[in-house]
Amino acid sequence: MGENELEENVLEKEIFFPTMLVPFGPQHPASGHFHAMLKCDGEQVVELIPYPGYLHRGFEKLMEYRLHVQNSMLVDRICVLDPFANEMGYANVVEKAVGVEAPEKGKFIRTIMAELGRILSHITWIGVLSMALGLDSGTRIAWGDREKIIRLNEIATGGRIYPCFFVPGGVRRGFPEGFKEKALKVLDYLEKQLNLYDNLVFQNKTVHVRLERVGVFDSKEAAALGATGPNLRACGIDTDVRRDEPYDAYPEADFKAVTMKEGDGYARALCRRGEISESISMVRQLLEKMPRGKIRIKELALAKAPVGDAHFCCESARGELCFYMVSDGTNKPYRVKVRGPSFSHTLSEFPYLVRGASIADVPAIYWSLDPCPSDMDR
Amino acid sequence: MSEEITSSLKSNFPASITGIVSEDKNFSLTAKKEEFCEMLSWLKDSGFDHLSDVTCVDFIEEKEFEVIYHLWSHTRKLRGAVKVRIPRESPSIRSVVDLWAGAQIHERENHEMFGINFDGNPNLSPLFLEDWEEIPPFRKDFNSREYVKKKYYGGE
Repeated sequence: MGENELEENVLEKEIFFPTMLVPFGPQHPASGHFHAMLKCDGEQVVELIPYPGYLHRGFEKLMEYRLHVQNSMLVDRICVLDPFANEMGYANVVEKAVGVEAPEKGKFIRTIMAELGRILSHITWIGVLSMALGLDSGTRIAWGDREKIIRLNEIATGGRIYPCFFVPGGVRRGFPEGFKEKALKVLDYLEKQLNLYDNLVFQNKTVHVRLERVGVFDSKEAAALGATGPNLRACGIDTDVRRDEPYDAYPEADFKAVTMKEGDGYARALCRRGEISESISMVRQLLEKMPRGKIRIKELALAKAPVGDAHFCCESARGELCFYMVSDGTNKPYRVKVRGPSFSHTLSEFPYLVRGASIADVPAIYWSLDPCPSDMDR
Repeated sequence: MSEEITSSLKSNFPASITGIVSEDKNFSLTAKKEEFCEMLSWLKDSGFDHLSDVTCVDFIEEKEFEVIYHLWSHTRKLRGAVKVRIPRESPSIRSVVDLWAGAQIHERENHEMFGINFDGNPNLSPLFLEDWEEIPPFRKDFNSREYVKKKYYGGE
C-alpha cells in the first residue's frame, strides 16, 4: 500500500467505537453479590442491565413451611446489615394478624435495638462508601466503630450479626444488668466519632466532588421509581414510616425526619449522616423512659392467626420495609411477601441513575443509594 | 381519613368494587379485573404516588391468583391495597408500568415466581433464577422440600 493510498483510506474510513460491555460485579462489592453489565459508549454508560439472584434463597417460600416463631429466625438473614428491622417487621405483622400487641417493655427494647441497628447499618455504609470512593482510612475507622455496636448486640441478644431477638409477642430476653451504661458509653463515643467522620468523609473535598451532582433525580421521578427512606428524603419528600405510621415505642421518642432538597449522591449521604445523630438521641431518650413489666407474651409463639391478611410496614435503615402475610387459620403463614427497600433501589433506581453517567461514577452512585443485595434477592 | 377516598372510589367505580375494609390510615378493596387499571390511575391522580409493592397470592383451592397492589400517598399519608382476582389457568393482567415506572421490576418478579403475564410490560425475562425448568416456584403446587430432595439428594 502506497503512502497516498493509506492517507486516502484514513480519510475515508469512519472511525467509530463500538458499544462495549463492562461487567460490574458479581464479586462482593462490600455488602453482597450483585452483577450488572454496563453497556458503554466510550466512558459513558448507555444502559445498565442488572443480573440479580446471587443471594436468592427463596425466604418467602421457606416461611410457608415453618412456624411463626421459627420464621423470626429466618427473616434475620434477609438483610445482613440491618437484621433488627426485618425482625421488627415480621414480629409486628404476626401480632397484627393474630390481633395481640406486645407488652410495653418489649416494644421499648425492640425500638432501642432497631435504632441501634440503624446506626450500625449507617456506620457500615460510611465504611463502604469510603471504600467505593477510594478513601481507605474511612473504611477502616468506620468498620472499627461498627464493632462497638456489634458488641452491644452481643451483650443484649447473644448474637453479633444475627441476633434472632425479636419474636412475635415481644423479645426473647430483657437487657442484662449494666447494659444501659454500656450503651450510653458507646453512644457518647460514636457522637465524638461523628465529628471525625464529618472532617474525614463528609467535608472531604474529594468526596464532595465525587458525589455532588452525581446520580440526581427529582422527587417525582424518585417516587415513581419506588424510592423510599433516605434516598427519597434526599429529594425533598418528607416521609418516614416511623412518624407517619408509628409502631412499637416510636410515639415515645422525639425525632425528626432528615430531609434534603438536591436529590444527588451528596444529599443522600448527608441524610444518612443526619439520621445517625437522630438515632443516637432516640436511643438515649428511650433508655431513660424504659418502663417496667413483662417483655413477651409467650403464647404468641405457637398462636394460630385467623383466616385473612395483614400488612405491616416499618422503616429500615434503607427505607420502607413491608411484610404482607396471608393466613389460613394455622400457625404457619399461607404466604409471606417481603417488600425489601433495596429491591427498588437496586433494580429500578440504580439503572435509571447511571444512564448517561461516566463509568467512574457507577460505584459512587451505587453506594450513595446504599442497596443491600441480600435484601433485594431475598 | 381513608373514608374520603373509599367513598369517592365507590361513587366512581360502583360496579367493580367488592369488599372494602377501611380503617383510619389504610384501606383495602377488591376490584374487578376489567376496571382495576382505571381505578389505579384514579388513585394515582388522587395522590397515591408511591407503588410500594406488587405481589401475588396463589389461592389454589379457589383456582385463582390474587394480585395485590400496595399503594402509599406521600401527601395524604394513607396506605391502600387494591386486590384483583384472576383465573389460575390463564393468569394474565394488564401492566401498570405506564402509571409507575417502578412497577416494571415488581411485575417481572411476579412473572417469574408465579407465571403471571403482565400485558404491556416491556421486559419479563427471568430475574433471579437461572435455567429454571420447573413450574414457577412460588405457586402452591410447587413443593420446595420435594424439589430439594430430588435435585440435591438423588430423590431419597
